Amino acid sequence: MKRHLLCAIALFVASATATAQIQLGEKGGSLSGSIESNSIIYLNDKGLSTPAPEGYFGSNNYLKVDYTNGRFSAGLQFDIYSPALQGYEIGEYLAGAKFKRIAYPMKYFKWQDKNYSVMLGDIFDQFGNGLILRTFEDRQLGFNNSIEGLRATYNFNRYLAIKVLYGRPRLYNTYAGSWSGGADLSVSLGDIIGFKQGGLYLEASYVNRYEGLYKQADADLVGRGMTSPLLNMASGRLNFDIAGLTFRSEYVYKGKDLSTAAASEAKRGQAAYAELGYSYKRFSFSATARMLDNMGTLISLYGTGTGNALNYLPALTRQYTYMLANLNPYQVNAEGEFGGQADVYYTYRSKSDRYRYWNFHANYSTYYTLHKAQSKSGQRERLWQDINFDIERQWSKRLKTTILYSFQEWNPYHGYHHRTYVSNIFVADVQYKFDRKKSLRVEAQYLLSGEYEGDWVAALVEFNLAPHWSIYASDMYNIGRDGLGTKKNYYNAGFSYTYNRTRIQLSYGRNRAGYICSGGVCRYQPEYTGFNLAITSSF
Amino acid sequence: MKRLFLMLICALMASASLSAQTLPDIRLENGDSKEIAIRSLVGTKPLIICFWSTTCKPCIQELAAINDQLADWRTEADFDVIAVSVDDVRTSARAKAFAKAQGWDMICLFDANQQLKRAMNVSLTPHSFVVGKTGNIVYSHTGYTPGSEQALLDKVIKLSGTAAKTAKTKR
Repeated sequence: MKRHLLCAIALFVASATATAQIQLGEKGGSLSGSIESNSIIYLNDKGLSTPAPEGYFGSNNYLKVDYTNGRFSAGLQFDIYSPALQGYEIGEYLAGAKFKRIAYPMKYFKWQDKNYSVMLGDIFDQFGNGLILRTFEDRQLGFNNSIEGLRATYNFNRYLAIKVLYGRPRLYNTYAGSWSGGADLSVSLGDIIGFKQGGLYLEASYVNRYEGLYKQADADLVGRGMTSPLLNMASGRLNFDIAGLTFRSEYVYKGKDLSTAAASEAKRGQAAYAELGYSYKRFSFSATARMLDNMGTLISLYGTGTGNALNYLPALTRQYTYMLANLNPYQVNAEGEFGGQADVYYTYRSKSDRYRYWNFHANYSTYYTLHKAQSKSGQRERLWQDINFDIERQWSKRLKTTILYSFQEWNPYHGYHHRTYVSNIFVADVQYKFDRKKSLRVEAQYLLSGEYEGDWVAALVEFNLAPHWSIYASDMYNIGRDGLGTKKNYYNAGFSYTYNRTRIQLSYGRNRAGYICSGGVCRYQPEYTGFNLAITSSF
Repeated sequence: MKRLFLMLICALMASASLSAQTLPDIRLENGDSKEIAIRSLVGTKPLIICFWSTTCKPCIQELAAINDQLADWRTEADFDVIAVSVDDVRTSARAKAFAKAQGWDMICLFDANQQLKRAMNVSLTPHSFVVGKTGNIVYSHTGYTPGSEQALLDKVIKLSGTAAKTAKTKR
């Protein structure tokens, strides 16, 4: 553990001295890169039911280096785990691998010309809204589903954009046994017909996945209804913008597939997505609606984990920055759900003093089961509802306040039982600037609920000394109600130091078990107590 | 493993005497769904590029602080501010609505699959860059504490001063 900590400190010192990229002469190109390290020393805590992991230490580290020379670029990325932090599913994959501390390195070679590009290596891309394909990296989740292969793109003026790709997707530390390919086409009808007041686009995508059905007899894929090793998905999109009004829509068809690794029967899937936006001066409105029907798409039919996903099905709900409002986030039901959300924003600024303004925001989201078979009652059940608003007031150059209220209702049984838990969450947030460098921020939060774990209370105090230092302490306590709840206290304190591109944060605390969600993916994080050292830097 | 760490450290130590990184060649969407090449914005004046998302409170604080002071800043130097949202499909519609209601006097771009974020080696948001007229990155910082936006203005003023001096010398 000592060695790892020394390495982490050495990385920090080294990266702090790296203030920019390496220039390799006039025509030699340049090197740039980034380092990210997140290490935890776990402690045994008698107040928690989960013991500290073996070795009492975990460390996730990422080093990325890019070389650029004119239109050519290339890069390498190493993901090093010493070992993986508790709760990261990649730890399970690494345990059974030959190399237990390092994932298969990522690399790419790219030529970007004016109208076309060619890329060989690990590819991150998204078709449309990601309903049939999105490859991306999320280090908070330990998630990386990039496709190792070839991609080519071509643009014909503003009229047409096309891209094709093919390769093998990454599954945690290595590559899945499947192959995926696809094509995406975007036609700007607005430019073709000379519609200059806005934009009008007609788009289409196709994605496939090929994987043998007889690799593992116990998987019994054919017995579960898989009839072909080739899965086809296609989507069509219509988007337009005119005078502050935006409309986007997508419809997806998916062939017969197992929507989850545990699904008992392969089914055809479909999805529909619509988005409407409008803005006028300081008023804006946005609404999204979506229907999912057996849309979970695995990278490999034999793989496990939340990272085993070829497409992107995020929870279209409000994502909060406050602890108690994020206690029980909505998790997407890819086998069947429909619903949507709407946001309204309005800003009022004082004409005489630009440091005085009001920001108003309201949001509503709700989701229901899609199929009657999803619930015991045979009826459509509510999965989620959130009615919330926040008002931010900048009183002067020094003082800003925010209040937030959220009414959340969620179904812990994913709609199978007609039972929901209700929470009322109240937040007050005050920020005061003493002078150009010193500022203080205080949050007070209360969650009122007669169900599940009862009431919660939380607070945060943060003192900032610009541009380098920030010190904070927070506490979250489960008060409970009527015999419900755990009465547990979760505390955290730490500081961060920032020097240009380098940031180091050291904290100590007890962390609650729960789902860490980023985008639409949620990873279960066991409770733990310990010291956390996080370092990021780029050069 | 030890050898690998040592190699990494050596590579980093070797980068101590460095010059400017250039802006990558990436196309992003603007608020009207039109694609814009980020490099096409380079050329006439320095740029401040700020990466943000609707779920990043300090990012919004930084952009609000810049916007509040922008009128004063522009009396000291001529530059543009680009706010790059890294919100993905989950929150990109909200990011567009939010940016429009805020009335930020900035160019708003949307990096929904984080291509620019990745190409510019942004690990955490907020992360802000100052880019010169030739597209070279002359300064960047990560994180935000109220007041740290001043460093961005200082760099832009320095750039403008250097540019003015160069122009005078040429004359």
